[in-house]
Amino acid sequence: MECVVQGIIETQHVEALEVLLQGLSGVPKERVRVHELCLKSGPNLGVVPSEVRLLCDLAQPTPSWTIRHVGGAMRGAGAEQISVLVRTIVESKASNNVLRYFYGIGYKLDHEVLKVGFAFRFQRGAQFTVTVTSANKMPKLHATDEAVAVTPGIQLVEITAPAAANNYNDVASSVTAFCEYLAPLLHLSKPGNSTGIVLTAGAAAASLMSSGGAKTL
Amino acid sequence: MNALDVSITEWNLFWVGHAKFKRCVLPVMLSSKLLPEMEIEETTKREQLLSGITNLPVPSQMEKLKARIDMIASACETAERVIAECRKTYGLGTRQGANLGPTLDKAQAAKIQEQEGLLRAAVNYGEGLRVPGDQRQPHSSLPSHLMEVLPSGDGAHNFGDNSGVYPKNTSTFTPNGVNTQGNAMQASGGLGRSAPSPGTAGTPNFENVSTPPMPYANSPRSGTNMMNTPSPQQHLTPQQQRQKLMQASQQQQLHAQQQQQQQLRPSAASLLAQNTVSQLQDLQGQSQQKLQVPGQQQMQYSQAQALSQFQNRQMQAARMQPGMSQSQLNQGNQLRSHLGQFTGAANSAMFTAAQASSNSQMMANIPGTMQSLQSQSILPQMQFGLTGGHPQRSHPTQMMNDQMFGMGSTNTSSMMGMQQQQQQQQQQGVYGNMQGGGQNLQQQGMVGLQNQQNQLQNQMQNPNFPQQRQQNQQ
Repeated sequence: MECVVQGIIETQHVEALEVLLQGLSGVPKERVRVHELCLKSGPNLGVVPSEVRLLCDLAQPTPSWTIRHVGGAMRGAGAEQISVLVRTIVESKASNNVLRYFYGIGYKLDHEVLKVGFAFRFQRGAQFTVTVTSANKMPKLHATDEAVAVTPGIQLVEITAPAAANNYNDVASSVTAFCEYLAPLLHLSKPGNSTGIVLTAGAAAASLMSSGGAKTL
Repeated sequence: MNALDVSITEWNLFWVGHAKFKRCVLPVMLSSKLLPEMEIEETTKREQLLSGITNLPVPSQMEKLKARIDMIASACETAERVIAECRKTYGLGTRQGANLGPTLDKAQAAKIQEQEGLLRAAVNYGEGLRVPGDQRQPHSSLPSHLMEVLPSGDGAHNFGDNSGVYPKNTSTFTPNGVNTQGNAMQASGGLGRSAPSPGTAGTPNFENVSTPPMPYANSPRSGTNMMNTPSPQQHLTPQQQRQKLMQASQQQQLHAQQQQQQQLRPSAASLLAQNTVSQLQDLQGQSQQKLQVPGQQQMQYSQAQALSQFQNRQMQAARMQPGMSQSQLNQGNQLRSHLGQFTGAANSAMFTAAQASSNSQMMANIPGTMQSLQSQSILPQMQFGLTGGHPQRSHPTQMMNDQMFGMGSTNTSSMMGMQQQQQQQQQQGVYGNMQGGGQNLQQQGMVGLQNQQNQLQNQMQNPNFPQQRQQNQQ
């Protein structure tokens, strides 16, 4: 299971967000360049289509593949109380035969996305992964070099933290608490809900990017 | 004068004398004799100040101290300037509340909203990224990570049906476009083709996969019911499909474990959630009123923020820990964790957003001392608690009382009968009340609740309601 929130930020403020995240996390940022292939099972494999995502990490010298299955989200009154989305997730590393394998068992390519940006992974009450990426679509099949941003002016910020059935409440509150720190720059919410941008993000970004006037004693 | 008068006079004289005596003593007390704690503090501070320079002659000590004072003054000046700049940017004015701040005109806001919708849909659901099948010709040169993976020749024919609408009728078992036995899968060449169905021998498997896993939602012991809340009205999801498959293989193992887990689940959260049901409802109402000004965008997160913080606070209180919750502590800033305790009120929803925004913004630039000062200043303002302005609702357990058991004094046996009959109504009643508190209940599913209520009723001996609610929660 994982707790996840998403938000958007204007591309002009991404650098300031990076500074803020760097300060909050204390770890160096990692480059993210992931080719995500979303496969759906063919109609002959049952009434309900099954969806699986293959992530190919292109930031490393040798690309590594991950299989990711996103399950249903927790629903109900309890889930509405929590401001993060809690959903089941299954992830596994795989060899580079994975694409061929899924094609072989009847999955078909539904869509693909290239995500380019950076990420921070750190521990702060829970294991956080904060990714700031721009989603790019490929005009031609698999043409990752010709990818074009879906929304050039806006990037997506996603915060995820793994959780278990018995501690997801704590993880959710950790995530919520961390989101407070990002409030000057962006609003975060469950993936289905749109948030808009922070109007004063410009001022916040400016103060983050400026060197300040502090003198040492 | 009698003796009494004399004694009174003497007493008066004594007091006067005493007063005079006190007046003589006072000036002495006003000298620099401090309380012992204050004295210790003063000596330590003095030592700190003069730590480096006590060995120098006094005039140079004075100079050094003056230099330090000057540096501090200049730092304060810079800080003041930064504050003034930020005040101007935020339009705060001098010592006044937050103004609206910059606003977006409608066209810009609409454009951003549209872009946001596009982006979220693209990332989460793949909208706008699907290329129609006829345009899916492979790029002339595949990227390196795919070159070895996909056979270049016929490797690109695996396009799913883009409509995303799968035929819901079960007649797909005799699939139209796919021959079952005619095209037996060609061993290696079939990799590039859409895979034909495994053949008639495999047909029974289809039934397994495609039957909705609804029956398993009834069992409170099913493995993955805790995480999801299947209900008859839901669409089938891959999650449920997987659930069913999992259950088929693991039901035995998980049986006992699940029962135990459900019983042992900490009831604090749900108990408190119960208690906070009515209060939370008010909270929502209040925060909606307060948050008119900044517009809809901020409201959502602040509202959720207030709710979750409130829940956090309540959980802390009922767990009876004098300390704060772990997530707050882990932030490493103890003053901010004080904030966490006090931010329960709806009034503070707006405050939190504004204060947190200015707070954390400052944090980035200004050294740590300023941060703690700011946090301290926020503290007094945040002490709303929930006592102000909330109508006192009857305790949720009492409400459930009334609905669950219409009478308080019938004896057990007849009550059992009534309960069985009333089961359905109870179900509804409890459900209706438990809006906020349904975390545990939700996970067990509505039907699971029924089962547990069955157990509960069988165990119940006397109408001791709060206890029973606890048991039910577990």
